[in-house]
Order: sequence, then C-alpha cells, then structure tokens
Amino acid sequence: MSVTQKPPLVAVEGLRKSFGQVEVLRGVDFTVEEGQAVALVGSSGSGKSTCLRCINRLEEATGGSIRLDGVETTGPKVDLNDLRRHIGMVFQGINLYPHMTALGNVALALRKVVGLSKAEAAKKAMHHLHLVGLAHKGDAYPAQLSGGQQQRVGIARAMALEPRVMLFDEPTSALDPELVGEVLNVMTRTREMGMTMIVVTHEMGFAREVADKVIFMEHGEVLAQGTPHEILVAPDNPRIRDFVQRSRG
Amino acid sequence: MDKIVHYFFNFGLLADYWPDILRGFALTVEMSALTVLIGVPLGLALALARAYGVRPLNWLIVFYIDFFRSIPQLVLIVLAYFALPSLGLVMSPVAATVGALAMVLSAFAEEIFWAGLTAAPKGQWEAGRSTGLGFTQTLIWIILPQAVRMSIPPLTNRAIGISKGTTLGSVVAAPELLNVTSSIQSNVANPTALMAGALLFLALFLPFVRFTRWLERAVAHPRS
Repeated sequence: MSVTQKPPLVAVEGLRKSFGQVEVLRGVDFTVEEGQAVALVGSSGSGKSTCLRCINRLEEATGGSIRLDGVETTGPKVDLNDLRRHIGMVFQGINLYPHMTALGNVALALRKVVGLSKAEAAKKAMHHLHLVGLAHKGDAYPAQLSGGQQQRVGIARAMALEPRVMLFDEPTSALDPELVGEVLNVMTRTREMGMTMIVVTHEMGFAREVADKVIFMEHGEVLAQGTPHEILVAPDNPRIRDFVQRSRG
Repeated sequence: MDKIVHYFFNFGLLADYWPDILRGFALTVEMSALTVLIGVPLGLALALARAYGVRPLNWLIVFYIDFFRSIPQLVLIVLAYFALPSLGLVMSPVAATVGALAMVLSAFAEEIFWAGLTAAPKGQWEAGRSTGLGFTQTLIWIILPQAVRMSIPPLTNRAIGISKGTTLGSVVAAPELLNVTSSIQSNVANPTALMAGALLFLALFLPFVRFTRWLERAVAHPRS
C-alpha cells in the first residue's frame, strides 16, 4: 500500500438522509479518486440518486460527512454557489432551459457565474457543444432537438464550467432506447478526457466497460463495492447476482 | 331608420363638442396606459418578492392581493377620492381613479405572475442552481422568462378588463371619455355623443386587443 498525500477527490462518510420518517440513506461510505469513474447501481429506491444529490447539496444530508478535495462540503458555512460551480450535474429529466438556445443554455452560467463576457462565453460554449458533437445546433431551441441531443447539451452545460467532478443522475433513463447510445458515447469520451465522474445508472454494459469502480446500493446502504468485474460479472453476493441477472433482461 | 340615424348618428350636432370629446378620449388613453404601466410592474414586483418566501412579508402580500381583488373597483375609487382626504391625502379625480385601478390590477397581476413562477418545474431551479447560479440569478434568468410567457394571455385579459374601468372615473368627475360624452348627451338631448364615445372606446381597445394577440405569438418560444 502506497501512502498518498492527496485525499480522495470525493469522500463520503457515514452519509445519512431522511425524508420525514423515511430513512433513505443509512450510513453510506465511499471514496472517488481524481480521474476515476464510479458507477452507483442498485434497484430503484435504494438511495443512489439521493446520495448523488447530497454531493452537490440539492438534498441536505441529515448526517455524516462529504468532503471535496479534503474540504467538508456539508454545514451552513459553505458557499453553496461556489461549491456547485465545481460540481457538474446531468439530470434524468435533462432540464434544459426551454426559452434559450442550446448555446444560451451552455453560456448562461459562464456569463453569470464565471463572469465571462458575452463573446468569451459564446466561444467557450461553442467549444463544449463541439465536444458533444452539436456545434451545428447552437441556435436550436431544446424543443427542436431530440432527447439524446438535449442530454448532450445538458452534458456540455455542466462540462463548460470545468468542474472537479461530474454527477450523472440516470442520464439515459428518460430517453428512447435508440437515443441512449449517443449519450453514453459522449459520457465515455468525457471519461477519456480524464474527468472524474459519479454515474447513477441502470446501464450495466456502460458500468462494466467504463467504470473503474462499481458501488452497489440497497436499502440506503452500500452492499458491496469493487471493480466492475467483482460486482457485475462475478458477484459473490447472491442479492447482487440476482440483480445483475435481472438487469440483463 | 331615419329615427335611428337621427338619434344615434346625428354627428352634425356634435360639431361644437369635438374638442371636448377628443380631450376626454386623450384622458381615457392616458388613464388606461398609466393603470397598466403602474399596475403590471407593481404586480410583478410583488410576485418576485413573494418568491423569496419571507413569511411575514408574504402574509402582507397575500392580504394586499386578496383585499384588492375582493373590493369593487367603484367602491375603491369613491373611497380614494372621498375618504382619503380625511387622512390628509387629497388626490385629483384622475389620480384617485388611476391609483385605485392600478392597485386592483397589481393584485390580479401578482396572482398571475405568481402562478407562472410556481408553474416552472422544480428541475429548472435545480439545473440553474447546480451550475452555481444563486437564487436570484436563477429566478431572473431562468424562471421569470418562462413565467412571463405563461402569464401574458391571462395578464392581457385582466389589463384590458381593468383599463376599461377608467369609465368609473366619471363618478368622481374625472373628465374622461364617458363622462364627457354623457354630459354632451344631456346638453344636446341626443345620444349620438355616446355613440361617438363608444366608437372611440372601440378605436382604443380593439387595437390593444389585437396587439396583445400579436404579443402572445411573438414571445412563444419555438416548438419543434
């Protein structure tokens, strides 16, 4: 074991979250190293999405700790806007701004959060649209794009801020099956660019091929974590084996 | 047929009165425009303030809008003109009318804008906030433009309805179009003056209605 000076990029420790009486997360622990892609898998209601949303504090944890680059992100003193600027998020519901063009969607935070000029923001936004293969759709409004194209704009919107880590919350679950591939391709390329990623997904093929680490959650706890092979190909745990078999359909 | 023309379209009788009628018309236009220009921005400001969810402030806002939506406009105009002077606030008939109507319009406009603001999906807020935009930035750049688009059809309806309430200013002797034309009717003992008034109201509000239809289309964002 080599001793590294650097803390993990994301360290989740004893994370708890309750909605009223319902305990959704009951002490979740995992770490994500810089440059790693981590897949959060498990059946619906296991707490994967809630866990992800606690990381950028769209949900407030009720207990435990989350550190980004060794710095605690929970607690009232944290500058939420500054934290979120460094954590990109891609949503299941895509959530593009319908009244803005694709370029406008990507450029908004570049202007208002980063403070770039209109021209600089447009240039940078165009670069990120290019990276997701949509440079020619800059002037299109979301309603004029397919679901897959919309989600690629969603990825460009988050990536343009050059985040430390990207959170993907079931990014392909709302898409028609024939549109899933183009989004997964963009995510794979994002991974190849060295971006640290945490992906909640039901795409087992993607988790197997792209993730460095797979975390299997059940009932608000981490049931097992390991390499894609350990968790998704030859799982020890009968619950996971059952899940993996059902996921293959 | 001759009688209809004699009583309702006897414009020769009005020859001496046209300057008065046009002055009344100009005042009606001015009062309508002021009512909209004060009432709509005030309603928007109230809705935006309400979005911050400050409890005591929101109670006040809700009380304000419920009060002004419930009270009849005519009562409010009469109160503004005859009751406020006893509190030391003396207003001209025109100011009392415009003030009362603008308050009523602002209350309805607030409810319409508020409905638009709350209709924006939660995911829009989350998307904005997830990129580091603050609450106010997300409200202004993401939520408000969508809310305004949704608000325009009901808002224009209200604005037109309440602007037509400028005719109520005649009860406090604001020399607006209805007041002027009905006085002339008594003077010349012929309702042609009212016909002229009606035609001028149409000349004012028809283009206004057409304009709002155009506005609704112009701000709709492109669909596939």
